[in-house]
Amino acid sequence: METLEQQINDANSLAELEKVRIELFGKKGTLAKEFAKLKDVPGPEKKAFAESLNKNKTTLQNCFDERYEILKKEEIEKRLKAEAIDVSLYGNLDKKGAYHPVMATMDKIIDYFVALNFSIEDGPKVEDDFHNFEALNLPKNHPARDMQDTFFFKDGAVLRTHTSPVQIRTMLQQKPPIRMIAPGAVFRKDYDITHTPMFHQVEGLVVDVKGEINFANLKAIMSDFLRYMFGEVEVRFRPSFFPFTEPSSEVDISCIFCEAEGCRICSHTGWLEVLGCGIVDSNVFDAVDYKNVSGYAFGLGVERFAMLLHKVPDLRMLFEGDTRLLEQFR
Amino acid sequence: MIITRTWLNNFLDISEVSDDTLYKTLNAIGLEVDSITTYTIPQRIVVGKIISCEKHPDADKLNVCQIEIGAGTIRQIVCGAANVVNARYVAVATIGAKLGLDFEIKHAKLRGVESEGMVCSASELGLPDMGTGILILDESIGELIVGKELNEYKKLADTIIELELTANRGDCLSINGVARDLSAALNISMKEFDYESQNQEKIGLARVAKLTTESNTNASLEYAMANIEELKTSLLFDLRLSFIAKFSENPIANFLQYLTHTTGVILRAYDVSHIDFNNDEKLTITTKNVNGVIHIAINDKICAHLGINQEEESKANEKSTQVLFQASYVNPKTIVDVVSEQKLKTDELYYNSSRGSEPTLCFGIAYLTYLFESYYNSKLFDGTLSFSQEVDDKIITVSVEEVCQIIGNHIPKMEIINILKALNFKVQTSSEDKFGVTIPRYRHDIENIQDVTEEIVRIIGIDNIEAKALKFVEKNRSNTAMTKYYAKKELRSRAVAAGFDESISYAFTDRTLLETYNFSLVNEKLDIVNPITADFNTLRTTILINLLQAAKRNVSYSKKSTSLFEIGTIFNETREEKDVFSLIATGQKESENISNAGKPNPINFESFVKKIASIIGNFELRTSVLRNGLIHPYQSADIIINNQKCGYLTKVHPSVCETFDLKETFVAEIDFEALIPQHINASTISKFQGVYKDLSFVIDKNIPYSQVSLTIRALKLPLLKKFYAVDVYEDEALGVEKSLSLRLFMQSLDDTLNDEDINNTVNTIIEKLQVAYGAELR
Repeated sequence: METLEQQINDANSLAELEKVRIELFGKKGTLAKEFAKLKDVPGPEKKAFAESLNKNKTTLQNCFDERYEILKKEEIEKRLKAEAIDVSLYGNLDKKGAYHPVMATMDKIIDYFVALNFSIEDGPKVEDDFHNFEALNLPKNHPARDMQDTFFFKDGAVLRTHTSPVQIRTMLQQKPPIRMIAPGAVFRKDYDITHTPMFHQVEGLVVDVKGEINFANLKAIMSDFLRYMFGEVEVRFRPSFFPFTEPSSEVDISCIFCEAEGCRICSHTGWLEVLGCGIVDSNVFDAVDYKNVSGYAFGLGVERFAMLLHKVPDLRMLFEGDTRLLEQFR
Repeated sequence: MIITRTWLNNFLDISEVSDDTLYKTLNAIGLEVDSITTYTIPQRIVVGKIISCEKHPDADKLNVCQIEIGAGTIRQIVCGAANVVNARYVAVATIGAKLGLDFEIKHAKLRGVESEGMVCSASELGLPDMGTGILILDESIGELIVGKELNEYKKLADTIIELELTANRGDCLSINGVARDLSAALNISMKEFDYESQNQEKIGLARVAKLTTESNTNASLEYAMANIEELKTSLLFDLRLSFIAKFSENPIANFLQYLTHTTGVILRAYDVSHIDFNNDEKLTITTKNVNGVIHIAINDKICAHLGINQEEESKANEKSTQVLFQASYVNPKTIVDVVSEQKLKTDELYYNSSRGSEPTLCFGIAYLTYLFESYYNSKLFDGTLSFSQEVDDKIITVSVEEVCQIIGNHIPKMEIINILKALNFKVQTSSEDKFGVTIPRYRHDIENIQDVTEEIVRIIGIDNIEAKALKFVEKNRSNTAMTKYYAKKELRSRAVAAGFDESISYAFTDRTLLETYNFSLVNEKLDIVNPITADFNTLRTTILINLLQAAKRNVSYSKKSTSLFEIGTIFNETREEKDVFSLIATGQKESENISNAGKPNPINFESFVKKIASIIGNFELRTSVLRNGLIHPYQSADIIINNQKCGYLTKVHPSVCETFDLKETFVAEIDFEALIPQHINASTISKFQGVYKDLSFVIDKNIPYSQVSLTIRALKLPLLKKFYAVDVYEDEALGVEKSLSLRLFMQSLDDTLNDEDINNTVNTIIEKLQVAYGAELR
């Protein structure tokens, strides 16, 4: 009996154990042979013989099961070891691409306004004088309408210098109440470290019955929006001038680079100018023949936001498909 | 616009107002502060009085001066500046004064002569450069007390504030204008300026000169004349002009500049030295309106176009002995149109006149008289000649309710009235909600109730307006623009997941480049008039050139592979706009890593197509007939979605790759509209088993799979659910033919397929391909 147990325990692999199993438990195995002897055992001893045989069988079976468990574990362990690789070699075999920081910023801006039930509107990039200037209270020869800044076409069309013409198109196509943003590319004839001939704006316009929309509303949404974009910043409103709004305001946030201590980026003022807004000028409503309405409008440069949010050093870099920059946003 | 504290103080007592308050107030009222700089003159630099000045015994260019630098304290100082000879009071840096971080004044010996200090120039004091030589002090900066620290002279150690004015605020293009606006915000009254001439020529101006105006002279004019003996400007003049970066060597120009900057009135000076009044000669000024431009002629010679320019030869200069001064005002709206339509040449004062200069001409003339008589050894003729166009006052009805509605806060009527009065608006008091206000003439920008409201907002301060969230009616605002935006976003997200970096490039490109690569061009008659550079002289008709350029740049930064995409607008011949989705992949198929032993294969047609498929989903490829210069004739294909051609992809032609320094490169450009997800209806799903069957044909090499596929589809076999190519094989034995293996999948909605059904379908295909292309089953 002990030899049999020894035989099981001597098996060093599942294959060897299987051999032992056949030798012991198989149809022609040791146990089968022992059980076969039962029929030759005289009657009175039969019971005792059978009992001892069953007992031995159970013992052997337990011994076998135990050994099987051990060997199975060892076997798996061995296989696992054999499959060992240096996983650290395989980090990021292929990388995903990156959203352009300007587009990602635009997405973030759009998300805010869509969540506040603004619609998205668009319009053509090649515009006519009426939509780009005239209807926006920028009559011919207006000082704010500097020839230097506008790209003209031979037939008198222009490349839109702002997304504001989309306001005009939307107002002409729809009826108030209007609650819209117009994101998109705009064009100005300017090229240096802070200007590129093409950049992106997001324009906003809200129009409702006269008296319903006021400056206090504009102040509320602009402050909230800027804190959504930049975190807990201070927001400052300064009166300013835009031909299509009156009263108008430029909006600054406390400098996010120096915590308003004053640095190179905020020109040591502690403030960063980020957007312009105001109450829609009645001349604009006259141009689209809207009567008895009030509204506010705002506009911002997406590149400026992206540069501030992501600390991009040079604006021009954003338009060169430079993967040294883009890869950082993966 | 640059202002200084002490200059401002001429009109408004701001001695109790801190720099910080000034900065905040200016910003709050819409006069944006660009910078604020206070000049500090280092300690131990004092007023010195030159007692004597003699040539250095051993150096031609040096002078040895005895200078009193305190009561009874005299120091010997050697000075190298030539103009020290004429100086009486100078700035003396005494022993121990520190002029900069590592420049301390010490006892010195210059060519053997002891020197105990230094006589300073403006720039050595840290002030703006004011020409050569040392700074000669005069009483224009205050009473000169020997030994007094120069830093105590606030007109020297002034605070300079640079303002960025908006286009509507022509009224703030002067010190007086800024002071006037600040006066309302700070609630400090303006200092009265009133000056009566003290010392004039006996001759009245009207006796020797006459002003004749045409009836349609829509302008105001006022003339004064002076005999000039000496026009020596004071230190304060020169200093302030240096602060505003307008200092010039011409004393008359400096004088006019100073006057205009102070008062806002546009002043010009004509040289009339040639007119001999003693010999009974007369001076006649005539105005004539020619096509909206007012010509000013002196004795029939045209000297100026009012508000626009002045003839160079008519300008007074340092040699002039008789000068005619002209103060003028033209309504800015009338001249901007004229200048633009007639393309007139303008000079630097046009900026002021086109934005609205100060209309109160007598203020300018009075200030001129005051300066003349305070500083110059010259006399003015008695009286002035003037003409003033009659203008109706602008009156606007202000409703308190409307003002409050625009602002969104309640502002008491009294507060509104007080603000308007402080801004010099004349208020017609009334017990009603509405009242009339007369707009001051210098506020060209105020035209309606919204403009008036802005004034109230400015003075109250936007920071003091309580923000209130808008209550609005919710509405379904989804529309096609929104659908497109989200479709783009989804597409971008998939392109990014497929390893492409998003790029943005200019909508401009080089016309010759488009021509070189045989792309369409925007019709020349519709092209840009004023491109920014030659590289950007037209609108792009493809994004691929921009992407190739970007890839080239990346290669130059030692990038081995670049995958970029852009969704942007392109234009066609008639300049219609279209959004396209464009991609480029160049270099290696995958990143260099452990799995490819750092040697990945170059990108190929198959791997590029797989990437595109992972981004845009289902499409077919058909042999392309498109022939632009980028296209590889044997590895290019039209992209077909829903049976519509909507773009193409191609291996980039090797010669193009060479030009752009690129290795294996693939590009694709697809109409964005075709990629917007369409509505899909589910079709019935069969409950019965389907059958796969492979067929191999021997077929002409030149027949593309897409043609075979179209032919099979045209059969419209009801059981054939799908089929696709699984193998293609060519060898010499096959000659001009190839072996093409198709896998068919057949299934019925109604029952399990039997052999007959299957054979019918299969045989129809075999027969059709046999008839159409001579294809034989292998």
